[in-house]
Amino acid sequence: MTGMRKPQRYEGVERRVQFAAIVLAASFLVLCAQLWNLQVVSQSRFQAMAEDNRVWPKRLKADRGVIYGRGNVVLADNRASTDIVFVPGECPKDRREEVVATLTRLLGVSREELDAKIEAHRREPFTQILVKRDVTKADRIRVEEHSYMLPGVLSVAHPQRRYLYGKTAGQILGYLGEIGPEELKTWTGYYMGDLIGRDGLEMMYEDLLRGRDGHMLVTKYASGRPQLRTDKRGVPYIAQRDSRGNILVEEGRRQEPLPGNPLYLTLDIALQEKCEALLAGEQGAIVVLEADTGAVLALASSPGYDPSVFVNRGHRNERLELLSNAKPNRMLNRCFRENYPPGSLYKVVLAAAALEEGVITPETTFFCPGHYQINNQGRRWACWRKGGHGNMNVVEALAFSCDVFFYNVGMRLGVDKISEWSRKMGLGEKTGIDLPGEVAGLIPDREWKAQLFADRPVWERNWYPGETVNLSIGQGSCSTTPLQNAVMMACIINGGHRVRPHLNRLADPMRSERLFSDRTYETVVKGLRMCVEKGPPAPTGTGYRAQVPGMTVLGKTGTAQIMSLAHHAQFKSEEDIPYAMRDHAWFVAGVLDREPRIAICILIEHGHHGGAVASPYAKEIIEFFYAHNEQFQREDAGLDTIARRGEH
Amino acid sequence: MTGRTMLFDIEDASVRIFNWRNLRHIDWFLPLVVIILAVIGWATMYSAVRSSDIIYFRRQIIFFFLGAAIALTIACIDYRVLVSLAPVMYVGSVLLLLAVLFMGTRVKGSERWLVMGPFRVQPSEITKLVVVFSLTWYLVAIGDRVRKLPYFLLAFVITGVPILLILAQPNLGTALSLAPLTLAMLFVAGCRIRHLAVIFLLGVSGMPLLWWQMKDFDPELDRPQLATSSESAAESTAPRRSLFELRYHQKKRIYTFLHPETDIRDSGWHTYQSRITIGSGGISGKGYLQGTQTRLNYLPEHRTDFIFSLLAEERGFVGAVVLLGLFASLLLRGLMYARDCPEMSGTLLATGVVTILAFHVFVNIAITTGLMPVTGLPLPFLSYGGSFYMTTMTCIGVLLSIPIRRGMFIS
Repeated sequence: MTGMRKPQRYEGVERRVQFAAIVLAASFLVLCAQLWNLQVVSQSRFQAMAEDNRVWPKRLKADRGVIYGRGNVVLADNRASTDIVFVPGECPKDRREEVVATLTRLLGVSREELDAKIEAHRREPFTQILVKRDVTKADRIRVEEHSYMLPGVLSVAHPQRRYLYGKTAGQILGYLGEIGPEELKTWTGYYMGDLIGRDGLEMMYEDLLRGRDGHMLVTKYASGRPQLRTDKRGVPYIAQRDSRGNILVEEGRRQEPLPGNPLYLTLDIALQEKCEALLAGEQGAIVVLEADTGAVLALASSPGYDPSVFVNRGHRNERLELLSNAKPNRMLNRCFRENYPPGSLYKVVLAAAALEEGVITPETTFFCPGHYQINNQGRRWACWRKGGHGNMNVVEALAFSCDVFFYNVGMRLGVDKISEWSRKMGLGEKTGIDLPGEVAGLIPDREWKAQLFADRPVWERNWYPGETVNLSIGQGSCSTTPLQNAVMMACIINGGHRVRPHLNRLADPMRSERLFSDRTYETVVKGLRMCVEKGPPAPTGTGYRAQVPGMTVLGKTGTAQIMSLAHHAQFKSEEDIPYAMRDHAWFVAGVLDREPRIAICILIEHGHHGGAVASPYAKEIIEFFYAHNEQFQREDAGLDTIARRGEH
Repeated sequence: MTGRTMLFDIEDASVRIFNWRNLRHIDWFLPLVVIILAVIGWATMYSAVRSSDIIYFRRQIIFFFLGAAIALTIACIDYRVLVSLAPVMYVGSVLLLLAVLFMGTRVKGSERWLVMGPFRVQPSEITKLVVVFSLTWYLVAIGDRVRKLPYFLLAFVITGVPILLILAQPNLGTALSLAPLTLAMLFVAGCRIRHLAVIFLLGVSGMPLLWWQMKDFDPELDRPQLATSSESAAESTAPRRSLFELRYHQKKRIYTFLHPETDIRDSGWHTYQSRITIGSGGISGKGYLQGTQTRLNYLPEHRTDFIFSLLAEERGFVGAVVLLGLFASLLLRGLMYARDCPEMSGTLLATGVVTILAFHVFVNIAITTGLMPVTGLPLPFLSYGGSFYMTTMTCIGVLLSIPIRRGMFIS
């Protein structure tokens, strides 16, 4: 009977149990092997990963370098910007309502927005919720005074750029903006939300001005973001709680941030202020260079903007307006980002080139009947003075800006020589100033025209003598920037060296070889001096309003036509001409017998005649500059040695 | 003749259902290892919860003493009585599993708990032991007929019913633990190796089925549409490809196991951080209470399923291997009882109980070290959990009761 069987075991059951034991032991050995693999073979890798988990390198942002102007004047530095934040976890639940109400009353923030923010962080009660960004000192003090009724409310500071002169030199300094996704990909050491130079010197010298960020290591929990408190100057003084309320501890040694290098400028902020004041209400540009080195003393452009609006509280509408395409464009630096036909300023180049090339001598004269014809036939080119100037040599032609004289000179030189000399003296080429966005301008030549009209018939590609005539007085396709004309003027004043304009005082000045001989130099200088002479007894030059008694001032007026003279005839008086069609007024000037010798270029958009509108500004600039220059020079000498020593 | 006479020798008058004097014959090796493991478990638990919820540490100590009482009580009961009660237990546990399906409490998306007054129990935990007893009862009853295919297959029906019910909860880990249990007990019961091989091959051929389920799976595309609140909420409405289609979270776990790099923040986060935790422990560990991964909450579930990682982090390779050695000695001792027990039901019970414990130890550590996909499976003596602690201690009690009665069969 099977039912009666004793539950005896069958043969071989022990072997089967033993086999099971072997399987068990083998599987445990597999586990041991895996543990060996993880804990011994790959230990260092996992240790690094655990360490990476454990601490959070909290970045301590470095201050941006301070920008100094001439004479150690601080133009841009950093201030502590204070945010008011609210940490719901540090405020008793039943008082939260009251705290929000108080904050609304004290800071004028929207209650709904604040409530929404608090609600959004309900699960992370120790998040520092931003109540108001970049508060005023008054706001901060008001919050501190009421701190007894504001549990969980604190102020957090961080450094922020400050432009001490506001609008003055704003276009030169540039502005800061948040880093974009493209830059984040390629630039190293930057993080989301960082502010980088977006224009001007801030952009050009980004690498110099940005400091080296430091960091502190903070405990990092699996959930929760670390947040630090900072003192009134933005220095994190204690590691606090993370957003989930875990206590954070500072681990290891803190690496302090290194502030960015200072940037020393040649810019004379007082002169800059003066130049911008002169331009107020106009559209235009004034450039003042040290003629011997190319150091930029002033680079005024109007209208301008205050770069603070990009970093400070409020100003939202102004920011939007600046970044839109509103006219006139206030972010456009007219000194080197906009082209203008040089007009009669170009005669200086022609005079120097013709003398140096030997196509005329100082004694060569041409007769000016008030108009010019190539080979006495065909189209007539008018001189600005309808009656003509009569017999003119080069000195007089410069002084009275005789068009006909330079038509003749231009025809003798030919387009190739004209464009070659223009470029030599700095026109139609980038000057190499240490600011971003410079335009090159254009000096037309045969090659340019052939390329431009490459798809047109051959007769349209050829260069015609008539174009040379236009070019001779800086009209036609010719276009230059005020900065280029200042460089050209500096070249005359310093005796024939082209200089590179620069703002960084510690940059080595660059000078070309001397371009022309003493004879050429003396002749051109004579003409430019005569231009600012006021008679009687001497004949009155076109730029006589720039004359400063007791100084050797050079000058040249220019009037860049927007429309042809034929159109001018339609209007009875200059005031009838629509603004956009009026001529641009130019004036370049220089001072020979003072230290430092300066070169000035003034442009007033649609200002009619250079002589009448622009030249009086030159006088004011020269007088202003030399009046207080001495003190600057003293201070600069001392500072330069300090700065240079610090560099090396 | 009734079933009971198959188990008891009627002439053996010394049989008593409960005899506390049995404790005098206890094998002290097993309790010693258990106490060492329990102490290690407490120490590890303290490290895991000291900063936040010390209550779990205290409860774990209470669980041990409760469990010890249960174990000693069971050791005093003649296991053959328990085996004879197996059919009743089986029906009862199936009813409980059905009850869970209809009135269970959801925890983390699956219905595992049954609330009975102040207690919450996981019937699936009880089921493991019930299946061991049921299979023992069945295999002893059929004797060497286990070599015949129909009897062999009926064993799978016995385990199949609770497996399906547990899968429906869904609780893949526990359901899977019943499969090796069945195979091991059939093997020791003396089934034909050929039959086992076929079943094994069928399991292997299940792989293409799994592949068929997983081939088009993309965790992003297949995400249930209402997944914003909780994955499981949406699952009930999501259409299934067939009755046997895996659920989204199961597929995702397998997917994550196969492609750990794709999903560091979600399911893969567990494996990823667990491996870092274990690996960073090195040979000698970071020192007791010095585990940074645990203290800073990087190690998930560090008081339950991943507590082994914490131990490996703080005690290093040495500590982990010592723990494995303790488990191995416990389990091999259990298999020794199975080998030396002169009658079949003791051998089968010991085998079944050891298989349950071994499965938990092996799979849990395999999961924490990244050898297997993540599924919720606790580690005996270390993981927090009352139900599971009781199951473990009951297993120990059953094991203890087997050699106690060895002397009775010598005649």
